[in-house]
Amino acid sequence: MRGMMNRGENGKRFFLVMFLVCGIFYMAFVDPERIYAAPLGEVYAWVKERTGAQEGQSVSGGSLVTDYKETEEELREPQDGSMGAVSEGNLSGPETETAPDPTESSVPESEAVVSTKDTGAQPDSGEPGEIVYTSVEDDYFSDALFIGDSRIVGMFEYGGLEETAEFYAETGLTIYKLLETTVPDAQDPSRKITIEESLSQRQFGKIYMMVGINEMGTGTPETFLEKYTEVVNRIRELQPDAVLYIQGIMKVTTERSAQGDYITNEGIEIRNEGLAGLADNVKTFYLDANPVVCDETGGMEPTYTYDGVHLKAQYILQWKDFLKEHAVVS
Amino acid sequence: MIFNSVVFLLFFLPVFFILYGVTPSKYKNFTLLAGSLFFYAYGNPKNLVFLMGSLVVNFFLGLHLGVGGNNRQKDHNYKKNNKNSRGQRRRRFLLAAAVAGNLGALAFFKIADCLGKGAGLPLGISFYTFQILSYLIDVYRGEVAREYSLVKLGVYVSMFPRIGSGPIICYNEVEGALNRRRFTMDDFQRGLKLFTAGLAAKVLLADRIGILWHDVQTIGFESLSTGMAWLGALAYSMQLYFDFFGYSLMAVGLGRMLGFELPMNFRRPYMARTVREFYRRWHITLGKWFCKYVYVPLGGSRRGELRTVFNLFLVWFLTSLWHGLTPNFLIWGGVLWLCIVLERQMARTHLGERFKVLPHLYLWAVIPVTWMCFAITDLRELGVYLGRMFGVFQGINVRTGDWLDALQKYGLYFGAAFLGCTPGAEKLYRKFKDTRAGELVLVVLFWFCVWRLTMEGNNPFMYLNF
Repeated sequence: MRGMMNRGENGKRFFLVMFLVCGIFYMAFVDPERIYAAPLGEVYAWVKERTGAQEGQSVSGGSLVTDYKETEEELREPQDGSMGAVSEGNLSGPETETAPDPTESSVPESEAVVSTKDTGAQPDSGEPGEIVYTSVEDDYFSDALFIGDSRIVGMFEYGGLEETAEFYAETGLTIYKLLETTVPDAQDPSRKITIEESLSQRQFGKIYMMVGINEMGTGTPETFLEKYTEVVNRIRELQPDAVLYIQGIMKVTTERSAQGDYITNEGIEIRNEGLAGLADNVKTFYLDANPVVCDETGGMEPTYTYDGVHLKAQYILQWKDFLKEHAVVS
Repeated sequence: MIFNSVVFLLFFLPVFFILYGVTPSKYKNFTLLAGSLFFYAYGNPKNLVFLMGSLVVNFFLGLHLGVGGNNRQKDHNYKKNNKNSRGQRRRRFLLAAAVAGNLGALAFFKIADCLGKGAGLPLGISFYTFQILSYLIDVYRGEVAREYSLVKLGVYVSMFPRIGSGPIICYNEVEGALNRRRFTMDDFQRGLKLFTAGLAAKVLLADRIGILWHDVQTIGFESLSTGMAWLGALAYSMQLYFDFFGYSLMAVGLGRMLGFELPMNFRRPYMARTVREFYRRWHITLGKWFCKYVYVPLGGSRRGELRTVFNLFLVWFLTSLWHGLTPNFLIWGGVLWLCIVLERQMARTHLGERFKVLPHLYLWAVIPVTWMCFAITDLRELGVYLGRMFGVFQGINVRTGDWLDALQKYGLYFGAAFLGCTPGAEKLYRKFKDTRAGELVLVVLFWFCVWRLTMEGNNPFMYLNF
């Protein structure tokens, strides 16, 4: 390697010299932990898969690397949009992967939550007199705001409400940065303000929220719920008159759930149980659309989706219809 | 391991080239073989077992298929004089068995893969099987002398620039370089520049424009507007091209860094005026292989029009099978075959020569449609997609103007892709690659690509599926 620099007379080796200089600079200063973490992670995953394969040979016989690569590709997808948030989850994914397991048995709210969750899922047979759902038309959403991740982006693009309702949706949005995410100012669209600022300027009649899938790789169900509670409280503070609908995280297909990364339907269920507990059923309600998009295995119906995570455009209407049938009119 | 991974770029490449550089010329093949096997086995050592088995078996088959020494004339005379001798019959039988065995193994893995059983296709099997067949047939024909060195044959079959997705080459194209090649800083630098260009095509263009194709699938074909369906097909066409073209540039670049001159796999295919021409410029080395070992032995175009049409049919049928066993590939190959046959008739009228733009429009309409047959394995879905492209299938929840949004979002990539399809891009590269400014741009491109890869993870090459 040194040889090529010695012969660098007349700038003949300019390219190689610059290449090395740039490389050394890059390795030293630009995100070195990522560079070294990625291959180490690969080796780690490989070793883990190997030992795993030895324990349970019968699992699938699928090739180790192919499986891993697929996972990696899937992980990359949610962040294709614009935000870098998922990449954090991406790297920390393998480490926190096991986090949901120990907590599964010790979700504090679980007992208190079940009943309200049931009313969310089965509105007709709900506890008498508690929540009365009404069927509404599209104009119900004229003073509504939708906040959420790529799923809400799908609702924006294919729900047919883009003219009616307001959407604060961004691919890769997480609860952790929800309030700080910027949106165009209603008065002056060229200016960007945070969602928190926007909510303090402008009052909405209804607010529909759905976030939670992108942050499954970071933190635990407890930290997620803690942050979610904080955000809900803040929104309640800023929007005292709005009806707030907390939507349960939409599940992924059973196949996608079994793929072996941090996104699992079990993890979603744990989080949804927690979310259901945030409803006071006076001004804040919990809605779970999963029954209309899931199959008997408890995951998203495979024909409804290409990537196992996002509903195809034509099935977004089913989700919208569910919301229209579950409006609370005070 | 794949080229566009951090492990390859930042660890394998420097370590390998330092080792390769310090190895004395005589032993460079050893280093290259060892490096290639490591490259191949990394992450999936099981595949290596099959590759090694195949290599050793075919090495001995090659020894038995050849006759005489290195004297081709002697070989030719021997065959002429002993056409039906016992030795000749034995050789013919051996060749048939070898071809059947290699193709059988390939078919076995493809069928298992198609049925969703087994461990998936071993990496690059379609490519290295064809390499091996080419060697065996050439030895049988006496076009190359049998190789007595397992190491050299091993390098020919498995050298890491080519093992994943070609280019597929004949033994005599690299025979000289295998025996004696020069490893110079000039070649290293030239190769690295080419590699960088390929990496940029893959990471900054193919992967970016591929997101649109991914979006189209996420939306669901039923809900695409006609414009969006065409835009999606166009996006896939560009993604596939720059993915495979980028890979091929990287392969040729790596080859040059090592001291090999590998052939180019593409010659601006989207500038072609007919489908015939397109496939003489697309994946050239595969086309050549089929031409040399299937089309020409069957008589090529020398036995009358009807026979030519049949020969073409067989070539395209086999090409379809090579890509995959799902019926969509047969449709893909069938449509192309039909186009080519019709074009042959059209060519006699010399009608196309009178128009300048029309043939290009024809190509840009036909090729994206055929790529959809190539990309969508589910026949019902394929029907829906084509139906949406031509407005036959009634859409569900279609958002008018979706394609305008997409065009706004991906317009820049489309612009760059179109430029990349023209001779202009190549001229630009040639003109500036040795200037200071051009070199600086390439250096920055390389490290920018590495940065992108660390940010978003790598995306396997599309032709690794075949």
